[in-house]
Amino acid sequence: MVIFSLFGIAVQALMANKLRSGLTLLGVIIGVTSVMTIISALEGMMGVLEEEFDRMGPSTFVVTVYGGVITSEQQWRERQKRKPLDIEAIELLEDGCDLCDQVCPRVYNSATVKYRGNSLRDIWIVGTTRNFVDIVDMEVAYGRFHSREDDLYRRNVIFIGDEVRETLFEGVDPIGKSIHVGSKKYTVIGVAKAQGSIFGESQDDFAVIPFSSHVKLFGDPGRRFNMNVKARSVAQLDETMDQVRMILRSFRHVPYDKPDDFSLLTADAILDQLNTFFKIFRFALIGVSSISLVVGGIVVMNIMMVSVSERTREIGIRKSIGAKQKHILLQFMFEALLTTFSGGLVGIVLGFIIAKILVAMIDANISPSAVAIIAGLIISTGTGLIFGIYPAMKAARLDPIKALSQE
Amino acid sequence: MIETRDLWKTYTMGHEKVHALRGASLEIEKGEYVAIMGPSGSGKSTLMNLIGCLDTPSQGEYYLNGRQVSRMNDDELANIRNREIGFVFQTFNLLPRATALHNVELPLIYNGTSSAERATMAEKALDLVDLTDRMLHKPSELSGGQRQRVAIARALVNNPSLVLADEPTGNLDSKTSLEIMRLLDDLHGQGNTIIIVTHERDIGKHAHRVLSILDGEIASDESIPESQRNGAH
Ligand SMILES: Nc1ncnc2c1ncn2[C@@H]1O[C@H](COP(=O)(O)OP(=O)(O)O)[C@@H](O)[C@H]1O
Ligand SMILES: [Mg+2]
Repeated sequence: MVIFSLFGIAVQALMANKLRSGLTLLGVIIGVTSVMTIISALEGMMGVLEEEFDRMGPSTFVVTVYGGVITSEQQWRERQKRKPLDIEAIELLEDGCDLCDQVCPRVYNSATVKYRGNSLRDIWIVGTTRNFVDIVDMEVAYGRFHSREDDLYRRNVIFIGDEVRETLFEGVDPIGKSIHVGSKKYTVIGVAKAQGSIFGESQDDFAVIPFSSHVKLFGDPGRRFNMNVKARSVAQLDETMDQVRMILRSFRHVPYDKPDDFSLLTADAILDQLNTFFKIFRFALIGVSSISLVVGGIVVMNIMMVSVSERTREIGIRKSIGAKQKHILLQFMFEALLTTFSGGLVGIVLGFIIAKILVAMIDANISPSAVAIIAGLIISTGTGLIFGIYPAMKAARLDPIKALSQE
Repeated sequence: MIETRDLWKTYTMGHEKVHALRGASLEIEKGEYVAIMGPSGSGKSTLMNLIGCLDTPSQGEYYLNGRQVSRMNDDELANIRNREIGFVFQTFNLLPRATALHNVELPLIYNGTSSAERATMAEKALDLVDLTDRMLHKPSELSGGQRQRVAIARALVNNPSLVLADEPTGNLDSKTSLEIMRLLDDLHGQGNTIIIVTHERDIGKHAHRVLSILDGEIASDESIPESQRNGAH
């Protein structure tokens, strides 16, 4: 087959000019590496987020007027007009929503906690009721979570995350000890199992107090008041959400022709929104790093142009003994594709290694992805195709006599 | 086998037109041994390039083996160059990085001959020019005469119907020139059709027929009687 011979000729030509082939390769490697680093790193971050939202549980969702990803100014304005969720809605759902397994309120505030000489700033103080532990993926390491009575009597009891325990109570049993949240004193009743960190952010820098107690301490949460709902089963999640939606719409007097003035967020929905956001982010970053690929492509083209003009005589000889235009074209395209393909392979591996190091900084891990590998190969050989075709065509179209008369 | 009718080749250099050929008509039969002679710049190479299908005429017709090649496209011309014509150049035109064997194999690559067959055919052609012992040498490791013999082997490898040589001895000393001419004489003796271009009378006298060209026109066409030939025959 002629095509195999042409491939062989291309390989020999590349080997014969190692410095030049190496330079071209370098241009491609730099371009592909930067694109692949970004693709792989983004994929790693996405994986971390997915893991995080898996913790929320597949059968739970959040009712909020405030949260969720906002993608337009209009959406933001609409959110600002929403009236807060009413605490009464909790009871309403507990009574009226038979598909709901658990409902609990959830409010966050950040505060400084102190014990003796130690203090921790910016700790999330969550205000919720006792069934919170049944809804979210959180386990009690020791002690206990707070009870219905704690909430009813607005007791100043506190359930702390592992980081709070570690920092304030090193080597001391925290149960029964009093800590300060802001200016108020709270008695520690339990400690949560450590959850580690995501994106370098500790997931254990929180403390939970009874909802009533939280309102007493921080005041009316207003629009920041959310509800967590757990459906009886994953299969019935959609129906449960519909039921909650109907109950809340009538409770909040939403006209039948108006959209909801609250949002229901499942882990999936949040992930979807984050995905959209990441997609935009990814395109922007890939766009920027593609510039380096274009640079790589121009290197390929430039070096090939030099190669063609240096090898004009060779091309003339080949044409004079019967090489057709397509033969010369293929020979040079093979050279370009071989270079960009192998540069692509190296770039994919390098990009993956760099991305792995990068995401390790945020305590994440990535494994090689087929999408990234295929994308990398398509991008690199595509570059070879696009930037190699012009010099190759120039070579193929050389006039044999003129080419032969060149010194 | 070759018939040209009123071939013109005109080059445009800026505003000036150079008529390298002004209506050359000729006929050459199979098995002939023809020399095209004339002073430098008279249009010999231009005519040779047209006959060798490396170029197309500005005007006129050219038939090779009954087929009109003067209006063929690039690919068809490449095919003819590959199968019908063996071209020998003054400057050898070998690939410097390739061995003699690979250089001789080259035409076979472009018509899809298998690599095993290529090697056998190339070795056979190198045997014809008596270079089998040098076949793994690169051109830089060969003498001028040996290089030209590699080029002749390359021209012969495809069993072309026509062997063309444009000043094949132009870059060689007189002793080596004689060797090359003897080789061409032998090839003619084996039945090949050969056309050579030269401006040296001694070289031209190896042929059996001499076409003289002057200012792009065929000035004379004479056959050389055996007694006046320079060959060893
Ligand atoms: N590519 C070209 N462009 C312009 N003029 C050319 C070209 N090739 C040949 N010529 C001119 O055509 C004439 C014939 O050239 P050529 O056939 O090479 O002569 P010869 O081989 O007999 O020395 C010369 O005057 C030469 O300058
Ligand atoms: Mg000439």
